[in-house]
Amino acid sequence: MRARPVLLAASLIAVAVGLIPLGYLAIRAGEAGWPRIAAEVFTQRTAVLAARSIGLALVVTLACVVIGVGSAFLVVRSDLPWRRGFGVLAALPLAVPTYVAGFSWVSTVDGFSGFWAAALVLTLCSYPYVFLPVAAALRGTDAAQEEVSRALGKGAWRTFTGVTLRQVRPAVAAGALLVALYVFSDFGAVSIVLVDTFTRAVFTAFSLGFDRTGALVLSTVLVVLTVLLLTGEGLTRRKGARYARPGVSRPPTRIALRGLRWPFIAALAAVSALALGMPAASLIRWLSAGVSRPGSLGEIAAATGNSLFVSVAGALLTTLLALPVGLYAARSPGFLSAGLERLTYLGHALPGVVIGLSLVFFGINVAYSLYQTVWLLALAYAALFLPLAVGAVHAAAAQSPPALEDTARSLGRRPLYVFRTITLPLTLPGVGAGAALTVLTCMKELPATLLLRPTGMDTLATELWTHTSVSEYAAAAPYAALLVLIAAIPTWALSREVISA
Amino acid sequence: MSSLHVTGGRKAFGAVAAMSGVDLTVASGSLVAVLGPSGCGKTTLLRCIAGFERLDAGSIEVGGKVVARPGLHLAPERRRIAVVPQDGALFPHLSVAGNVGYGLDRGARRSGRISETLELVGLAGYEDRMPHQLSGGQQQRVAVARALAPKPPLVLLDEPFSALDAALRAELRRDVRAALHADGATAVLVTHDQGEALSMADELAVMRAGVIVQSGAPADVYRRPADPWVASFVGEAVLLPAAAEGTNALTPLGRVRLTAPQNGHSDAVTVFLRPEQLQLLPAGTSDGVTATVLRRDFHGHDALLLLALPDGLKVSARVFGEAGASPVIGDEVTVTVLGEALAYPR
Amino acid sequence: MKKPLILLVAAVLTAATLSACGDEPNVAGDKKIIVYSGRGESLIKPALEKFTKATGIQVEARYGDTAQMASQLIEEGGRTKADVFISQDAGGLGAVAKKGLLAALPADTLAKAPKEFQSRAGQWVGVTGRARTFVYNPDLVPVADLPKSVFDVTQPQWRGKVAIAPTNGSFQAFVTSLRVGQGEAKAEEFLNGLKANGVQIRSNNIQIVQEVADGKLPAGLVNHYYLHEIAKEKGIAPETMKAKLHFFTPGDPGNLVNVSGAAITMNSANDADSKALVDFLLGAEAQTYFANEVGEYPLSASVPAAAGLPTFAGIKPPAIDLNDLDSLEQTVALIKKVGLA
Repeated sequence: MRARPVLLAASLIAVAVGLIPLGYLAIRAGEAGWPRIAAEVFTQRTAVLAARSIGLALVVTLACVVIGVGSAFLVVRSDLPWRRGFGVLAALPLAVPTYVAGFSWVSTVDGFSGFWAAALVLTLCSYPYVFLPVAAALRGTDAAQEEVSRALGKGAWRTFTGVTLRQVRPAVAAGALLVALYVFSDFGAVSIVLVDTFTRAVFTAFSLGFDRTGALVLSTVLVVLTVLLLTGEGLTRRKGARYARPGVSRPPTRIALRGLRWPFIAALAAVSALALGMPAASLIRWLSAGVSRPGSLGEIAAATGNSLFVSVAGALLTTLLALPVGLYAARSPGFLSAGLERLTYLGHALPGVVIGLSLVFFGINVAYSLYQTVWLLALAYAALFLPLAVGAVHAAAAQSPPALEDTARSLGRRPLYVFRTITLPLTLPGVGAGAALTVLTCMKELPATLLLRPTGMDTLATELWTHTSVSEYAAAAPYAALLVLIAAIPTWALSREVISA
Repeated sequence: MSSLHVTGGRKAFGAVAAMSGVDLTVASGSLVAVLGPSGCGKTTLLRCIAGFERLDAGSIEVGGKVVARPGLHLAPERRRIAVVPQDGALFPHLSVAGNVGYGLDRGARRSGRISETLELVGLAGYEDRMPHQLSGGQQQRVAVARALAPKPPLVLLDEPFSALDAALRAELRRDVRAALHADGATAVLVTHDQGEALSMADELAVMRAGVIVQSGAPADVYRRPADPWVASFVGEAVLLPAAAEGTNALTPLGRVRLTAPQNGHSDAVTVFLRPEQLQLLPAGTSDGVTATVLRRDFHGHDALLLLALPDGLKVSARVFGEAGASPVIGDEVTVTVLGEALAYPR
Repeated sequence: MKKPLILLVAAVLTAATLSACGDEPNVAGDKKIIVYSGRGESLIKPALEKFTKATGIQVEARYGDTAQMASQLIEEGGRTKADVFISQDAGGLGAVAKKGLLAALPADTLAKAPKEFQSRAGQWVGVTGRARTFVYNPDLVPVADLPKSVFDVTQPQWRGKVAIAPTNGSFQAFVTSLRVGQGEAKAEEFLNGLKANGVQIRSNNIQIVQEVADGKLPAGLVNHYYLHEIAKEKGIAPETMKAKLHFFTPGDPGNLVNVSGAAITMNSANDADSKALVDFLLGAEAQTYFANEVGEYPLSASVPAAAGLPTFAGIKPPAIDLNDLDSLEQTVALIKKVGLA
């Protein structure tokens, strides 16, 4: 492998941004001192919380894999009627914040609380993380391998599990990792359905005893859990050619569902109804039951504009930082690049409030001129959501074989020209998909946004919080609806990119 | 017009040495084929010449200009050595004209060089097609045109025909060779296909385990391989244990005349013949050795027979002529040797 | 790629510089202040607008959760841009005061609120009172059976009928007051009694009041103003709600009153504009607003509570000094030990 000093240097910058929260945690944990850390971390409660967080992540990830892979297969590889529509519906739950989904369930179903309630809400909100990459991978699989398997006498099911699933395995693993990390960091759903997870304990430590140190020390355990998860995922990831084969490959055939088509349609419709219909029905009920009204149209427009502005700024910065990391990982596979790529994942499992505080620390002590500007908020989004964009860039870069870049250089073109004319155009659709995913995730983010937004700036998420925190549900409903609708635009673009084309 | 000199080229990946002292010279305007089995280091050699890999030791000179030596590694784009990769590696988002014109500056693009090279590879009028609209063979032709367009000092072809079917391959080989010659290009072709190497190259370099073991005109390498391994790699070989006596050797096929007297310290040698040097006659019609036909691979214009000699040794023989005239499995034949043989010390 | 990249970097830097020299924080007497509010925008913004109208002082406010905002203030330390901190509860104010980040308030400001509802060192002052109370549904709980004391709810007739929100700050403060006022043993016994009596757990007060109003729950221990909040959202008078408030016997620990409050940061110690805001919040106009629109108890003696609520004097909160409620860590530990959170 050639050394790629420019990519490496740029990757290091990106990783440094991703590690700001960890640096902050290290400083604060260091101040707390070992006895305090030991007292906070080595307790039975910590063990119970960790077990519950891991258990929840496990259950949700498994459920998301089943639903995500299942719907992806049906949408991409079967003759299901209205599959385009189902494809968009399957991606849309990404646009629903877990706090909105959780609240609509709790207010509709009596006694909706506990572990399985949290698992349900989190699964319904995050299975698109599996659906999208798997659908994309299924679209690109080679029909020949499946045909060989069928010719060798394997049935449809054994071909699916033995050949097709193996082909999309990296995509399943990537999606599952995002789901698991998301479950670790989620506060919205678990706080509403009363499940004590690690992240909830971190938040509670902040609000109960105003115990910042305890909260931060607890957060370090989340980092440890994340490292374990990343190591586990790394061990199961097999080495092998991840590059797309050049040349014209045959699009895979679609399986005829025959008599099973109606049960499958019912299943997909049921998932969408629970994931999308439930919050929608809640919003309508909020609107009709309450008399509070949101601010003027001007205020709503301003909040919408602000949401778009900070999210797009955050996604741009995140994507810019993710580009070198993803390209480096794809072009110079090895211990160093894989390590750097994984380092960007560490911030993703931390609660937003910890990321927010770490950026407050960074802003106050390092970049005071950026403090309480959109750019520090964008930096926080980058620290939180780098993995979303890194994964997309990596996958996209792996789709364009390095031979193209070699050939381009042999034709006398300098690396930057090659990057602009070959690498970028070829990876742009994938990079764009990653950016869209980041935009909509930024839009839903609340805790870091509250801590870091410029004073006086409201976004849809903060307005939603403002009104729900004082029971003004009717006033909150339009913001929630707008948030979901606007987040639905990049989601729709994402699903189109993945399903059609 | 320029030439290529690789001197003492070494390259290792970790503990694995891919090239351990490669010397290769390519004369200006000629096409040299580097032939070797997979894993012999030939692709590494090509990547080092192109500048995709950095040499550990040794030097590379193109057109009198040193592009790589200890402490110097010219970037690929500054060497301007064009590459035709195995799979073509056309830029999927650019049209045929976009691909061919990629290495050209604006002036050259306008001057008609794109259509000129496309015509050279037999694809005149394909400028606006996209790569996915082309067949595999057409994609390779575009890749060749793209490499030739900037008039590079050297063109490297990395097994460019291996993914194509046989009929297409033969036609494309001829056309590409013609195009290279018409453009006066100096070229290196890397391949593991001896038929491809023999038919296309002006000169052949056989590579094994990281070194070039023999180079020369294809006919010379075929007739006078440097050792038994080269002999059997470059074509079908009949290798016989024998005892040398001056200009003769006593082999299981009887007495064979040697091309040169064997004067080594031992008279135990291996005698090398090509299967077409074995002449078959109906059993008992001559004073040769009697053998039995074990297997018959029919190729249309000829057939390759596997024969068992009385002492159990198996040899190949090529027979030409009509299918009905050649022996079939189980036939007994008399074998005699035509021409002279090469002997290697054992 | 090169050009857009450079442009983007340039844009970032320009925006950063612009915003950096935009407003200079903590300048005294510039008729401009920055408020960090741990209370929701819909509650505080109307009061701040009244303030600007009355004084001409411009207010820039950032809203957030009290606990997180306290953490933010502590993280910012001496470089904070905030002039005034408005907090949902005394705990948030105490946490920031403990780090030495709050200025002592002038005596005339402190004089506007009762002594027991302000910091001993004068670093913060209560603005409104938030009483702990018993909410019940008269269809499910006969008025005759209502508990006299908060300790009664551990008795068998309340088995499984009462809800609490143990992760909520107001419940925490209540438990702290039990520990401080009644002793650790009594507090622990009470929590164990709740647990043994099958107390229902909810994530927050609103949920409890809502379920009581809907007839899904008989009763709960909550803060008093949520009834007002829900009635307002439904567009009805609080009295017509199916959920009713019941205060325990005067002086009972269950009638604890906590406060929302305000403080001035060290950086703004000498800014008359900041003092003007705190004074305004304790003045008649703001106090009337908090009483009638938010449903909280005014701390200014001259302003009456909202119609339908018992008078502040009538509920007679237990004799607890809020300054003594700073041992939340032990409370959290106790609640966890008992197994309610």
